[in-house]
Amino acid sequence: MTPTGAHATTGTPATRRLGLVVCVLLVLLVLSGLWWSAEDVVQGSTVRIMYVHVPSIWVAYMAFALTAVCSGAYLSRGTRSVAWDRVAGASAEIGVLFVAVSLVTGSLWGRLTWGTYWVWDARLTSTAFLFITYVGYLAVRRLGGTLRQRARRSAVLALLAVLEIPLVHFSVELWRSLHQEASVANPNAKVEMDGLMLFTLMLGLATFTALFVWLVLHRQRVILLEDTVADRGLDEAIASRRDEAGAR
Amino acid sequence: MLIVAVALVAGGVVVTKFLTSAIDYYCNVDEVGVRRGCDGDRRIRVQGIVRRDSLEKQDGSTVFTLEWNTKTLEVSYLGDPGGVFQECIPVVAHGRLVGEGFDSDRIEVKHTNEYVEKNETRFDQANNEAAACSVSQE
Amino acid sequence: MEHASFIIASYVLTFGSIAAYAAWVVRRGRGLARRASREEMPWT
Repeated sequence: MTPTGAHATTGTPATRRLGLVVCVLLVLLVLSGLWWSAEDVVQGSTVRIMYVHVPSIWVAYMAFALTAVCSGAYLSRGTRSVAWDRVAGASAEIGVLFVAVSLVTGSLWGRLTWGTYWVWDARLTSTAFLFITYVGYLAVRRLGGTLRQRARRSAVLALLAVLEIPLVHFSVELWRSLHQEASVANPNAKVEMDGLMLFTLMLGLATFTALFVWLVLHRQRVILLEDTVADRGLDEAIASRRDEAGAR
Repeated sequence: MLIVAVALVAGGVVVTKFLTSAIDYYCNVDEVGVRRGCDGDRRIRVQGIVRRDSLEKQDGSTVFTLEWNTKTLEVSYLGDPGGVFQECIPVVAHGRLVGEGFDSDRIEVKHTNEYVEKNETRFDQANNEAAACSVSQE
Repeated sequence: MEHASFIIASYVLTFGSIAAYAAWVVRRGRGLARRASREEMPWT
């Protein structure tokens, strides 16, 4: 075993460069979101919350879709590697964080525009259910057993849970909801947003996507290390029990 | 195991809320007393657009006319509705029918999915005002 | 800016929570990497 130095990390030159890009994008997003973009004719300044609220739920959808793709890859015969499961787990965890951000920022935006923090309408209720489902997915990953058992049961759950995403997104079209319909990704394919507002929203999407990639790269490496250390601990415990039995 | 149990219970609560509240969150003004679930003898949520020039403040109450597909409903709300409440905007009023009017104790503003930049020129202001009142009634 | 407290709170909560999570991931990675060999870290 070649020991690592005290400065060993989950980073590489590529992730460090990506991290730098994320920092620059974040600064641009804050400047564009809070200063450069114009106020909305009805909502005024409160529209600025949209530039963090909408990209966070888009990235959460993307994260859960990646979890499903990796889960499917794990379950398919040719690619049964636990590496798929680690990316699935990392992606789901980050997705849960982004849904939570979207729920909190949406609640603050709702207070200013609707006049209330929360309503049990189709969009908010289905998003809350999506959040709880993936918290449950993360809990199921921690139930114990071997890595293969963890990978199999969580992959099945992920493939079921991802079906909620179209339900959440189209809930405002399927049912009568207080939440407004989609302005960009809508069935009419008509973008209902002025220039710099749309640019800032797309900048938010690019920033959050880059941030998501950076987080997934690091988190799946941390899960690999967690699995390695846990395996080694188990091996050491078994060896210790064997030594004890041999000494008797 | 505990987190799985908590998630299951929370999921159950949310599904219950979905079935009892989220499906068809409101009745439109033209459905009050006509559509099933929009009966006048119980607490309902009514959606419509605040008619232009109908908004009045009377002794701490906000009175306005809700309109949807040519049908109208006079709404009375004690206090200031808050949010971005204004004329020509869709709102959901919670409350009960009292005579010909609607006595509301909660108003939620249902803003549209259109985002229009606020401009300084008078020409753009006129356009913005027109855009703010041209809400689709589908 | 109207409603500045709500708007700034949204940005602070968003970037604060993501930064806290990112810091936790990096620190946990460093802690575990010290206990692993180079062979166990294919990215090194």
